[in-house]
Amino acid sequence: MTDQTPHLTHSEARSAKPRFGFAQLTGFALLAVLAIGALGGPSLIGQDPAKQSLLSTFESPSRSHLLGTDNLGRDMAARLLSGAQLSLSLALLSVITAGLPGTLLGVIAAWRGGWTDRLIGAFSDAVLALPGLLLVLMLAAISPGSWWALYAGISLTLWVEYFRYTRQRARVVLSEPAVEASRLLGLSPWVLLRRHLIPEIGPGLLTLAAFGAATAVTSVAALGFVSVGLRPPTAEWGVMMTELLPYWREAPFLILQPVLCLIVTVLALHLSVGGARRP
Amino acid sequence: MIYSIEVNALSVYAGKTRLMGPISFNLSNGGTLVIMGETGAGKSLIAQAILGTLPNTLHAKGQITVNGRRVDQMRQSARRRMWGTVIATLPQEPWRALDPLMRAFRQVSEAHHYVGGKKRSLANADTAKAFETLGLTGAEKQLPNTLSGGMAQRVAFAAATAGNAPILLADEPTKGLDAERHTKVVELLAKVPKEGGTLIAITHDVSVTRRLAGEVIVLRDGALVEQGKAIDVLANPTSSYTQSLIDADPKNWPQSEKQSDLAEKRDVVLTVENLAVARSGKRLFEGFDLTLRAGERVALVGPSGIGKTTLLDAMAGLIKPEAGTVTRAQSQSRHTVQKLYQDPPAAFPARIALKHVLKDVARLHKTDWSSVLTTLEKLGIHPSLLDRKPDEVSGGELQRISIARALTVGPKVLLADEPTSRLDPITQRDTLNMLETMAAAENFAVVLVTHDRQIANKWADRTIILT
Repeated sequence: MTDQTPHLTHSEARSAKPRFGFAQLTGFALLAVLAIGALGGPSLIGQDPAKQSLLSTFESPSRSHLLGTDNLGRDMAARLLSGAQLSLSLALLSVITAGLPGTLLGVIAAWRGGWTDRLIGAFSDAVLALPGLLLVLMLAAISPGSWWALYAGISLTLWVEYFRYTRQRARVVLSEPAVEASRLLGLSPWVLLRRHLIPEIGPGLLTLAAFGAATAVTSVAALGFVSVGLRPPTAEWGVMMTELLPYWREAPFLILQPVLCLIVTVLALHLSVGGARRP
Repeated sequence: MIYSIEVNALSVYAGKTRLMGPISFNLSNGGTLVIMGETGAGKSLIAQAILGTLPNTLHAKGQITVNGRRVDQMRQSARRRMWGTVIATLPQEPWRALDPLMRAFRQVSEAHHYVGGKKRSLANADTAKAFETLGLTGAEKQLPNTLSGGMAQRVAFAAATAGNAPILLADEPTKGLDAERHTKVVELLAKVPKEGGTLIAITHDVSVTRRLAGEVIVLRDGALVEQGKAIDVLANPTSSYTQSLIDADPKNWPQSEKQSDLAEKRDVVLTVENLAVARSGKRLFEGFDLTLRAGERVALVGPSGIGKTTLLDAMAGLIKPEAGTVTRAQSQSRHTVQKLYQDPPAAFPARIALKHVLKDVARLHKTDWSSVLTTLEKLGIHPSLLDRKPDEVSGGELQRISIARALTVGPKVLLADEPTSRLDPITQRDTLNMLETMAAAENFAVVLVTHDRQIANKWADRTIILT
């Protein structure tokens, strides 16, 4: 045979290169820290985020208050952790509840085609016509400061993104000769999904999910900051920024903390998927 | 003597590794150079080095002079200005060179207008003329994805030559074309030197070399094997590699044994009666009959666009025929009709190791893994290749793996849709030989769709010509 692929030793073989780059590993590490913080919450450090102590406001970091106290003498570390819990759980929930139905509907539309495709497509277009921000404002007016209203507003229209991406990609993948060959060989739809579809659209969906989560986190903070989202005394990053803003001159260290938390969270999410699709 | 292209000791390097060269050649106006060799021999690197389109990780050494100017020392922007007006190129995969959202006529007239510098009306007139000469009448309004491979090739040719560049680089211009189009494209190319231009053609097809004549360079693994007048090299090759390339031309294949007494001895595995097929509402042909017997080799020949693939799809039960019936022998399950595809990498899931693909099929059809490995061994595939993904093995190997995959099911009929048209001639011959051996050993029928009458005559028991 003249047409032979040379037999490379394992160390030279292409699949042996490292799977993740440095940036991505940094993203994973940051995400892990954030996840631990969010899972443990304020009880990690044994402080109550709502407990005021007017005798000890604006304290510097100390053994009892790791990151100091705010204008009402509440423990900053506990409040940040509580905020992480709120933001990340909402991000996770909105990604799951938008990603799952969106992806499923996308696959169904691409798989069935015809009327099914047109119906779901029309429905998704109709949902897109609904402005998400308006929905949040409306729900906030109906039940001010409710976590569920916030969640619904942020994620109700989010599934369309997943739907459109999945449908588009799945249509291309499903029309490939490779899928036809697999069907002829008698492979079940499940195998087609696992071998053809998921490897092709998985990385893209992960990117969508991470960016969606980052957007959800910033949305919660932004709405909290303009007093439309969650209300004080809830310890939420955006709300904390509003509360601490008047004191930025005396205690710049305090307002920087929720801001940094927000930046780090968004950065971690973006970094963790950054290299996912690099060839 | 003034040369239009002068190449002196040209080599292409990746870092410190030499991938190709050194080669030297001179061509004057009216000259032809054919670069021959298999995939991976570095043929396209020469074209890229002359054009200045080498990937960033590669660099060229040596001198390249075009019309008396040293292009290898020019700035990139200056070289770019020569594209289309001094050197034109006909790319390898023409459908990738066309704008997917622009209709065929527009693509060409735009090249006449912008590259050729003609007025709109003149550009349109010249485009219409080119479409007529190239047999593209009726395709003016079509988008590239609705064009067949051969038509896309001709649209790309019309666009490439619109700027009237005296030098034309054609990279595998006949790949995947049917016999008639093949002849036409070669005629088109042969016109270039006749009209005083310079032609550099890259091909692995000996018949193209023979027809274009001129000079020939034979490359193997980037090294020069032979160089000289095409007539001399083809008649008296000094290297055994050149000889094997010549032998791989279907015209020079040994005749396979024709099995003529199948009717009495073998069972019928598939019957096609009065079949009519249509694609996107257009009736392609009707009244097609075929009786296939176990172990039989049938070739299906016809020009592109006639509906050969659609016919195969109907026989495989992938589409509903417009009229007529396709009947499998009663004892067979519906998986006994299998297909081979033209582009092997497209027939496998791209991101999965080949091992998993084969194991899925073996598990489903309760085929022993060791028997799959035996089949692979017979096909000359080393099991270590199965740890790779489809794009990490060569096209010929992948096509043989897809034969093995189909055999895992225990097929009675194998529908092969131009399975070797994208492979090198030597690989093509080897693959078809193996298919023949396997069909005899496993007693399955093969329907081979091809556009090469030579292959059909040499390889098949009988040939059906679709017109």
